Amino acid sequence: MRRLTFPVCLLVTGVLGYCILIGPFTSYMRNKPIEEKLGFVPSIKLIKPLSADQQELAGAALVMKVLMYYGGTLGKAQAGKIVSESIDLMGMSRMLHGAVKLDPYNMDAYYFAQGFLTWDAKQFKVANNLLEYGMQYRTWDWYLPFFAGFNYAYFLKDYSNAARYYQKAGLLSNNNLHIQLAGRYMQESGQTDLAISYLAAMEQNEKNAVLKEGYRIRLAAFREVRRIEQARDRFKELKGMMPRSLEQLIQSGLLSPVPVDPYGGRFYLESSGKVVSTSKFAFATQHK
Amino acid sequence: MDIIRITLKGIFRDRVFQGIMALGVLFLFIPSAASLSMRQVTELSITLSLSLISFILLLLAVFLGATSLWKDMERRYMVSVISLPISRSSYLLGRFFGLALFLILTSTVLGVVAGVMIKLASGIYPSDRPIIWSWYVLAIVFATLKYILLIAVAMLLSTVSTSFFLPIFGTICVFLASGITQQVYEYVHSPISAQTVSPFLKTVSSLVYYILPNLAGFDLKVNAIYSIPPNPAGLVLTGAYFIVYTVALLGGSALLFNRREIG
Repeated sequence: MRRLTFPVCLLVTGVLGYCILIGPFTSYMRNKPIEEKLGFVPSIKLIKPLSADQQELAGAALVMKVLMYYGGTLGKAQAGKIVSESIDLMGMSRMLHGAVKLDPYNMDAYYFAQGFLTWDAKQFKVANNLLEYGMQYRTWDWYLPFFAGFNYAYFLKDYSNAARYYQKAGLLSNNNLHIQLAGRYMQESGQTDLAISYLAAMEQNEKNAVLKEGYRIRLAAFREVRRIEQARDRFKELKGMMPRSLEQLIQSGLLSPVPVDPYGGRFYLESSGKVVSTSKFAFATQHK
Repeated sequence: MDIIRITLKGIFRDRVFQGIMALGVLFLFIPSAASLSMRQVTELSITLSLSLISFILLLLAVFLGATSLWKDMERRYMVSVISLPISRSSYLLGRFFGLALFLILTSTVLGVVAGVMIKLASGIYPSDRPIIWSWYVLAIVFATLKYILLIAVAMLLSTVSTSFFLPIFGTICVFLASGITQQVYEYVHSPISAQTVSPFLKTVSSLVYYILPNLAGFDLKVNAIYSIPPNPAGLVLTGAYFIVYTVALLGGSALLFNRREIG
């Protein structure tokens, strides 16, 4: 009996200690700074030989890490609309660039990078370079030229390149819409409509709940913008001048119901007549 | 033939085998893990399946290949075996073919189980690209050949070692090095390295490249995952490479094993 006293004491002490510690430890892990959560990734030159014949798995693991991190932060933002730290977009970009070096065919990496490098990080050239790299491998995939075409037209206002990529997307997908868009991107008008058609296509095909919700919110915001633009154009037609404010449009009865920004901001008209919002179409962030 | 039968029986009783096969439970989680992907659920399910099969085969090749001969010598079974009317070479080849047959059986079973999981995952989220099952089978066949070759490496190291450390860690090192020798060889022979790599280092790297097995050619995962056609001529060359390299390793092992003092 005495023989067992020591191991039993040791076990009980260990289990009790664990029960006391696990609460604070979990809380510490949950509240780790974002940089630590996303983690430091060693050079791909090192990961490549170390992952031996598991490079595709290593690439997929990097994409998953970024997705979990981004999904968690975005989920928080959508729920409470305030996130305490800004998202480490450059860290995410570094990881996804590493992932496609390991597996240049990984579509998740291109798809996800296109999402945040453009709308959130405003790194349009970086996004397009990544897409062009992917097109060398995924030669059958119409999504990559479709994304590149959109970036050139909507963000970079480079309509000849946009048309070139939309034509490529059209040839690969046999989708008439892409061919039509190729022609449409040659002119500068109709930007909001183009964004709406792009986002609607993205939202429809998205199955990740968090990202789908992200697209839905952005789409809702752009539809409101389009409604204001239509009222503004109608006002100009009727009165022969630009409206001074959004309130003027509402009072004239051309804009009903009152537009709501799903990001929590307030719409207003710039002196040029451009419709903008105080939210800048992003959820508010509070830097530490 | 008897040695092959005894080897197979021994493996099925081995705890190392049972422990490693417990990893097979992970196959059940593949469809749910793959569903985390945004755009390539089917592709991710194939990646996870082939990676898990490859990992299990690696563990089996290293541990069973490296400990098979060592155990016989450690338990002094070898003393009784050499008194039987069979040559040492036949004994060694019997052990090798027993292990190779076992690896083929294991990869067949794992391939079928993983195939069911992939079918499940692709049924929930169909892929834009069709799954080409013959390429999936081809990827498993070549992965099996790769690990059979690794068993031959482990057995060669077993014939010269008195402990299991050299065969196990030596085989792991050969496996890691064999995946990158091609990159190193291409780098030292590229124009950009002409200034930085000395002619001596270039010769040494080339020598290492020709001596170590080149296992990168056996990796057809990308072809199976993304339905990219493999190069038929390349496959024939890789198959021939497997045969000649394994024959050379077995010849070397038999030679060393015949000269070894047992008792």
